[in-house]
Amino acid sequence: MSGILVVAETRRGELRDVSLELVSTAREVKEPAGGRLTIAVIGADAERFAGDLAADGVDEVLTVSAPTEQFEAHVWQRALEALIESEQPALVLLGHTIDSMGFAPAVAARAGLGFASDVTAISWAGGPRARRGAYGDKLQAGLEFPGKACTLLTVRPGIFPVAEAASGPAPARAVSVDLDGAARTEHVEYRDAAAGDVDITKAEFLLSIGRGIEDKDNIPRFEELAEKLGATLSVSRPLVDAGWMPSARQVGQSGKTVKPRVYLALGISGAVQHLAGMRTAETIIAVNTDPEAPIFGVAHYGAVADLFEVADELEQALG
Amino acid sequence: MARDPKYDILFEPIQIGPKTLKNRFYQVPHCIGAGSEKPGMQAYHRGMKAEGGWGACCTEYCSIHPESDDTSRVSARIWDEGDVRNLAAMTDRLHQFGALAGIELWYGGPHAPCMESRATPRGPSQVASDFELNIFPRYMDQDDINTVQQMYVDAAIRAREAGFDIVYVYGAHAYLPFQFLSPFYNRRTDKYGGGFENRARFWRESLEKVREAVGDDCAIASRFAVDHLLGPISIQVGEDGARFVEYCDDLVDLWDLTVGDIAEWGQNAGPSRFFEENHEKPFTGQIKAGDHTNKPVVGVGRITNPDTMVAIIKSGQFDIIGAARPSISDPFLPKKIEEGRFDDIRECIGCNQCISRWEIGGPPMVCTQNATAGEEYRRGWHPEIFHPAGNREKSVLVVGAGPAGMECAMVLGKRQMAAVHLVEADKEIGGCVNWISQLGHSDGKENLFRGSARGLGEWKRIANYRQIQLDKLKNVEVHLGSRLSTDEVLTYGAEIVVVATGCHFATDGLNAATHAPIPGADTSLDWQLTPDQVVSEAKRVGKRVLVLENEAYFMGVSVAQKLAGEGHEVTFVTQAGDIAGYMHYTLEAPMLHRDLERLGVDIHTYTMLEKIEPGVCHAYDVWNPAHTEQFEVDTVVLCSARISDDELYRELKDNKDRWEREGIESVYVIGDASAPRMIVDSIFDGHRLAREIDSPHPEMPLPFIRERRLWGDASNDDYLQQLKNTADVALA
Amino acid sequence: MKIVVAVKQVAALDEEFELIEDGVRVDVDYLEWDLNEWDTFSLEAALQLRDDAGGDGHEVIVITVGDEEAEEGLLSCLAKGADRAVRVWDEELEGADVLAIARTLAAVVEREAADLVLCGVQSSDAVNGATGTALAGYLDLPRVAVVTQLDWDGASGTATVHRELEGGVIEVARIRPPALLTIQTGINEPRYATLRAIKQAREKPLEVLGLDDIGLDADVVHAAAGSRTVALATPDRGAGAEMLNGSPAAVAARIVEIVQERMSG
Repeated sequence: MSGILVVAETRRGELRDVSLELVSTAREVKEPAGGRLTIAVIGADAERFAGDLAADGVDEVLTVSAPTEQFEAHVWQRALEALIESEQPALVLLGHTIDSMGFAPAVAARAGLGFASDVTAISWAGGPRARRGAYGDKLQAGLEFPGKACTLLTVRPGIFPVAEAASGPAPARAVSVDLDGAARTEHVEYRDAAAGDVDITKAEFLLSIGRGIEDKDNIPRFEELAEKLGATLSVSRPLVDAGWMPSARQVGQSGKTVKPRVYLALGISGAVQHLAGMRTAETIIAVNTDPEAPIFGVAHYGAVADLFEVADELEQALG
Repeated sequence: MARDPKYDILFEPIQIGPKTLKNRFYQVPHCIGAGSEKPGMQAYHRGMKAEGGWGACCTEYCSIHPESDDTSRVSARIWDEGDVRNLAAMTDRLHQFGALAGIELWYGGPHAPCMESRATPRGPSQVASDFELNIFPRYMDQDDINTVQQMYVDAAIRAREAGFDIVYVYGAHAYLPFQFLSPFYNRRTDKYGGGFENRARFWRESLEKVREAVGDDCAIASRFAVDHLLGPISIQVGEDGARFVEYCDDLVDLWDLTVGDIAEWGQNAGPSRFFEENHEKPFTGQIKAGDHTNKPVVGVGRITNPDTMVAIIKSGQFDIIGAARPSISDPFLPKKIEEGRFDDIRECIGCNQCISRWEIGGPPMVCTQNATAGEEYRRGWHPEIFHPAGNREKSVLVVGAGPAGMECAMVLGKRQMAAVHLVEADKEIGGCVNWISQLGHSDGKENLFRGSARGLGEWKRIANYRQIQLDKLKNVEVHLGSRLSTDEVLTYGAEIVVVATGCHFATDGLNAATHAPIPGADTSLDWQLTPDQVVSEAKRVGKRVLVLENEAYFMGVSVAQKLAGEGHEVTFVTQAGDIAGYMHYTLEAPMLHRDLERLGVDIHTYTMLEKIEPGVCHAYDVWNPAHTEQFEVDTVVLCSARISDDELYRELKDNKDRWEREGIESVYVIGDASAPRMIVDSIFDGHRLAREIDSPHPEMPLPFIRERRLWGDASNDDYLQQLKNTADVALA
Repeated sequence: MKIVVAVKQVAALDEEFELIEDGVRVDVDYLEWDLNEWDTFSLEAALQLRDDAGGDGHEVIVITVGDEEAEEGLLSCLAKGADRAVRVWDEELEGADVLAIARTLAAVVEREAADLVLCGVQSSDAVNGATGTALAGYLDLPRVAVVTQLDWDGASGTATVHRELEGGVIEVARIRPPALLTIQTGINEPRYATLRAIKQAREKPLEVLGLDDIGLDADVVHAAAGSRTVALATPDRGAGAEMLNGSPAAVAARIVEIVQERMSG
């Protein structure tokens, strides 16, 4: 088995960024791994993405036609199993995304592959090596995959850069897989996030609040503070879980990814899923009473302080 | 855990005259209601701070002679050998823990009414006290001056004998030396009055004489209010304040700086309602900043945050962090900083309950955050040590996570009860603290005098601290958002049930004045509110509001502040002579009056409501009920009385026949659910029950030591015999 | 209806800790154990399904792969209302990775013949987000991962689920048991156990099984493993945040400065 197979991800007709991030990931080990770098896209309309997938370093684009337009975990599982069977890659890369969580581990399990999820770095030494978090990202673990001819890794989105387009098109090949009857769930519909008043991904300045605000009754005060600051209010997941704020305001892996000029986080500890949504903001300022809060690891400025006291002072300073 | 190097500077020793202060944590003189006549309380309260790492602890103001007698307020005294013996108990205990002992030698002049001694106080000029009622001093001629200065010297010598390391000549809070210095008091035309050096002469001479007597053995300190806050008619930091420091710098080993006087000493012991942390910096900070001294400086400002402490020293504001209230709230503050245990620090909330008991005159100290303050000796309570309960195999259900419930569950947890479940109906822990801490704001504008109404936000620390502690306790589970029915409590599986379900405001105007509801009062109507409804914005508040207050504490005035600040026309009515009697004791009254005046609140004291009708309240003059008045208003807020929410408790008692079957051994009720009270007392109630949960009859408090004269020969053992069976008493 | 809930006792790292075994594992003395937060939601989902179904013949079984530390978590599940618990452990499972664990769980689930298997989306310590789907793979069960809403229609025997996608979009889908779902936090409000229930939990069946008892060969488990940890280290924090010190007022003033600086131009 040789070469690297990257599995692209699309949703509702759009190619997701992680697909081309994976190409950058693959290129880090392409040489030592030897063999070709192919990128596969699965879907009812797979061919139309072939052009977009011709990134620098990609040797071939594979398209697999699926009977359903939208993602279905079991269909994708069978498609990937067939691709691994036919292409015999040494390394398979997917994004660590909601979709891939639905099928990638099953593929690895059934085929007895090497496996690790949410990896943040890879290298090669006679075989793939990967790095991922441990104890909730407090530590980092180095992984090996002894005795595995093929290893499947899901890669944390937003870590690797999006690969640039190649100068010309890449050869594309359709791979035929019998996927009829593979689906085992029935798609009913998509529902967009409650049409929020606001698109936080467009805001230049976000004031973000988390569990630290303790009480939903405190939210109006932070809405006002956001206004005074000239910021848009966003939240971390727990506030949406509790029903205090609509999910349109949520920053994080299952919320929105934001890249404002300033991200001011009050009372957010920085769970991995949240950091995924904001770590690329230009200036991150974090206020938290816990000096070990993970958010200080990505913030540019931090203060170990009580967010209410700081909010008090901000309110006074701004008049 | 090791000390974070960021805080190393707080642990650097510093020389004060002949003494070495082992770190920068200094408990400045403050009252506790102990004096020299409750030596056990004095020694153990101060000693607790020394055990907790404070480098120096001082007495409260210490009278040098019967002419300086503040009865009924409790000062320390060093009049005779008996006082030496009693105060030595304190110095011994401090030295045992490696702390220096300070004594604040005090002569009050006309501010000390001498109600016990019946002596006549002396003063620089015959002007009555602006603090006491109808007390004039005798004018001091040169003989009087010599006599009083000799009192300082004799007292200093006794202080050295008692083992004190730091001896103060106390001239802050407008006591005698300051009365000479300030033209506000000093109208003399001899060499002790007039120009600066003349006015400073008495103080300087006193320092010289005290220094000569004990200066080789003791550090000489002086507590000085660098600014009287009265403008040019008295001492201002930029004029005589800084000048005085320079003038006496050679005689002093340590400057202890404050502001203000005794008449409005809430400007110094600033409540959090009006003053932020380190609020004296603009005044006391000028001394080092302006290079007016070569000696170490300690100052205060309700400094509770370790980072602020570091910044104060690094910036050169002070050399030593002074604290009274933060040391009461957490005697172990220094140790906790050293050990990196920041979430164990119990921060002062600036409620001034501690001060209020001294102001009332007589009662022992209390502290909202630290229920053991004042109980170290008489009940043997240690804030950090909790003896495992004798019945710790039992499990406990505490219903209600307000101040009493949180405290009780926390202490039960620390006493290693097998399992403690704290169940709260609300989604948030904290009970009444959550809405009360939202009060105290007015319109955010600067007051006429200093600061603005900042609000009671720091009171939320009551909940924050306990939430963290409860979270750490492995044997305690907190369940929020769960309202238990009587049946659910009965079948919960706990052997011990503690009901801490709080209270509600009377809906019908029931009050302590008339002992009856007020006709027409009905807070189920949409234009009548209880104060919690004002905070939760449950109902719309109309333009014109009448607030009725009959409880004499902060509720009515806080509601008035909030609504007036938001633009309503507020009429405030109370049957009392004062808008919030208890707030005189917490030193919040003067700033409160200024704020309400500025906001245009229409205040009617000695007034009660006879009847409430839509659109109009009928009121009458308490002294002459025939004199009536009509207030046309849109909304009425009734802060007339609180009533225990004790239905659960009553129903549990009604179902006593089921207890045995369900495994319940006892049911207790604490806090407001037992009887509405101040938060400090609710927390105490919960704490006490938990400390005594393994006594034979926990519902009845165990006896405590009363330090009193026993007829015939009495020893310390005689006093200890008074205590009966309390496992927590450890007076080692 | 028989619902199996796979749970995990997760480890939280103390402030200070030590590594053992050539720096590849954390000394257990420095770990604090607790039931995985996600599992409280999946357990609650299972309990609600059972309670809503009403009548007899429904069972919620919690299973876990873990040593004695995991018993506490199982007991708390039993206290909350699970009917039975099964703990599998063998020395051979020490250091097992996500696939080895899933392979072991598969053997237990097979024993139970479940209608529905619920797992948490991920655990808070390993954060693999893979155990449930891998388990479904071994069992060849249809599955939906990352479920934020679950509605069961007894009449038609169908579960309608919400799958939560990035960007806040939801996919509504239907699945018929036997099936596996991975449950996301916030799907419900987990109940808590009263003191009585906690005491009574000890009387509920809790089986402790070895690999032999579930007919699984250690070699099969080792072969299934997907990775091996060869190093553990504290991550580079990089330059780290510039810390703003002082009182809240000082912090606020600095924040205003930084904001004004960054937002201008």
